[in-house]
Amino acid sequence: MELGDAFFFIGGGLAVTFRLLIGGFILGISLGTAIAIARQRGKVGKNFATAYVSIIRGTPLLLQLGIIYFSFPGLLGIRLGIIGAGILAFGVNSSAYVSEILRSGIESIPKGQMEAAKTLKIPRFYMWKDIILPQVMARIFPAMVGEVIALLKETALIATIGGADLMRKSQMFAAEKFNYFIPLCIAGLYYYAIVLSIEWGARKLERKMVHAKG
Amino acid sequence: MLRARNVSKFHGDRASLCDVSFSIEKGSVVGLAGESGSGKSTLLRCIQGLERVDEGSISNGGCAGFIFQDFQLFPHMTAMENIVYAPARQRRWKKNTSEKAAIELLDTLRIRELADRYPAQLSGGQKQRVALARSLILKPDILLCDEPTSGLDIATTGDVIDVLKSVENQKMTMIIASHDLDFLGKIADRILVLRRGKLVADISAKGVPNLAASLRPYYGRTEDAP
Repeated sequence: MELGDAFFFIGGGLAVTFRLLIGGFILGISLGTAIAIARQRGKVGKNFATAYVSIIRGTPLLLQLGIIYFSFPGLLGIRLGIIGAGILAFGVNSSAYVSEILRSGIESIPKGQMEAAKTLKIPRFYMWKDIILPQVMARIFPAMVGEVIALLKETALIATIGGADLMRKSQMFAAEKFNYFIPLCIAGLYYYAIVLSIEWGARKLERKMVHAKG
Repeated sequence: MLRARNVSKFHGDRASLCDVSFSIEKGSVVGLAGESGSGKSTLLRCIQGLERVDEGSISNGGCAGFIFQDFQLFPHMTAMENIVYAPARQRRWKKNTSEKAAIELLDTLRIRELADRYPAQLSGGQKQRVALARSLILKPDILLCDEPTSGLDIATTGDVIDVLKSVENQKMTMIIASHDLDFLGKIADRILVLRRGKLVADISAKGVPNLAASLRPYYGRTEDAP
């Protein structure tokens, strides 16, 4: 078995893994923010957010992915394809965790900060944009990095519906060569290299936010 | 002129303020005294509009600035950014207009060299000056200070008096809540004393030799006596 061939073949799954990671992350952040905002908007919003988070966190991601990919076409007439179903499932799943991270971040900002903005008559929109959210971002940053890393590893579930990501590619290579150890280690190296890059980028970004931690 | 008419404020079934009435002339410096929990902070917060009164009314006759006990500077902004943020966002001042005004204030408060520091890099007294500049740049008619000397050492407390006196020259109404009667005696023209939410004394602080002794009867428990 040529190591170079193995790296090249398995690396062919990077595109799928990255599309799922980036798509899932963007959807997760957007939906998660919407859920966190909904929680602040009255009783209906709060009940909805609580139920959403409870159900999404309370059922396996594998099951959510299966429902979206296998059942949506029959139930709703929506056929998303493997990548589309993956992004939707990973995004929705991640959004439940993101919304809780955001909630804890918002609740950790002292009430006095909003009062100070109020006494300075700063319009509500700017209070959130310039005063509250930058501090929330700095405080939740480590938890958000953890969420991205968890999301990256969860994208490996796409193999169960036939997505040709890093994981699936390594299994394909292994099946062909009757050798599991080397291909799985190579996939592991790819994942670990991505995680190390995320952590490196995060450290750079975090240094810029040092003052916002309060 | 600031006027409070029969103001009451309830927290649960406990009255934090009970039928409080007074009026304050423009330009005067009023000390708000009383033991912990007497309603000093609540009254300031009601004047500012941070809390709504349950009965009665307060007309504060203009724009009020508020100095919080713990300053509440924005931690992710430098001193300068803290000061110029509100005029930029709320009054749409141009950058150099607000920075010029900020530098003037920093000079008055003798902290110009701290303009680029973040709040975490400032001492308590320095933070207070930045908080003061942040309020003053909006040229409020009334300045409300909640316990300006708490958490500051004696030397810094002397500084606070200097700083507030320099503000006093600008003919602004000031209301200062403090449990420190020596401090209030040095700065206020008039003292209002609250006790369990009621206004129990309203005296001139000018030329009173021992303010603490003359206010002793208005304090309840001996351990809180000044």
